[in-house]
Amino acid sequence: MSTQYTELQLDALRELANIGSGTASTALSAMLGRSVDISVPKAQALPFAEAVEAAGPAEQDITAIVLGIIGEMQGTVLLLVPPADADAMCRMLGVEPDDEFALSALGEIGNIVGTSYINALAGMTGMDIEPTPPSTTTDMLGALVASVLAGAAATGDVALMLDSNLLVEGEDCSISFLLVPDQGGVDVLLSRLGLS
Amino acid sequence: MGASETMVRMGELAVSSVPGHVLVSLGLGSCIGLALLDRKMGVAGLAHIVLPQSQGHGGENSRKFADFAVPELVSELEGIGARKIRLEAVLVGGASMFAVASSSLEVGQRNEASVRELLKAMRIPVKATATGGNKGRTIRVDVSTAAVTVREAGGKDTELLAGSRVLEAVAA
Repeated sequence: MSTQYTELQLDALRELANIGSGTASTALSAMLGRSVDISVPKAQALPFAEAVEAAGPAEQDITAIVLGIIGEMQGTVLLLVPPADADAMCRMLGVEPDDEFALSALGEIGNIVGTSYINALAGMTGMDIEPTPPSTTTDMLGALVASVLAGAAATGDVALMLDSNLLVEGEDCSISFLLVPDQGGVDVLLSRLGLS
Repeated sequence: MGASETMVRMGELAVSSVPGHVLVSLGLGSCIGLALLDRKMGVAGLAHIVLPQSQGHGGENSRKFADFAVPELVSELEGIGARKIRLEAVLVGGASMFAVASSSLEVGQRNEASVRELLKAMRIPVKATATGGNKGRTIRVDVSTAAVTVREAGGKDTELLAGSRVLEAVAA
């Protein structure tokens, strides 16, 4: 499968993701009062069907917090958390998972993490971008990821995903972090990096 | 389950006339799983449609668009013995997964509207649907019985379209 991006471009995007998720992990750490580790991020350009498969088993239940990116680059930030881990994070914030505020607590985690990532991205590239308010839902992983990718599918055949993993130390609790720029968004990103 | 299941992934379509064969699309969100069945021939097809209209973006993977996928599914079915006049349709998906005001939100509804429009123009009746709402779904199409089932997140398989024994002649 042709990926249409060069190794150099993917390396640069990976480095962006690295700095973005580093900033996001610091924010999450401050919020939860725990150390947060980050994995080495991946930058993958995959055909849509494979991109969905790469995210994990399609029918697996997952809690997703989604934020849109608007401004000079359009795209979506998707935070994927196993439901048990979402419950654990609620408790770290002092909210019981079945409490009426649990969803907004998770939304707030998504907001802090997503916004710090997006701000880091804006700072590095000089792009004028900002996040939209978060939306939280628990459903089939495949349905959530495919619905996000559909927004980018209109003009291209390949989805670019920047994927990092945040791990809350001592709690065995992880957030998978996906940044999916719309097709035009990737071009803007690469041109800002001088790699278009 | 699933002696022989074929996964129909995002933007793909498949047809079959193999007895016992099951066509599956896992985790449909805003996408539409369109099943077309010719019960008499024991022939079925499934398209996993992502977007309502190609709007000039054809290209290699045009099957992700309803306006390419629907006619193509019909013609591939005809290629393995189905008759258009006997085809029955079942639609699954077209949900709005996220409660945010973004364009991707209405994609589900627009997908369904577009597929219905195309089916109507081809005079193919829609026999059953599980569409809209905000839940992800999985569709399974049993080729030989023409049974179609749907499963929502955390739920069980429910029959959307009852299967019927085809090839009664065999028993005679």
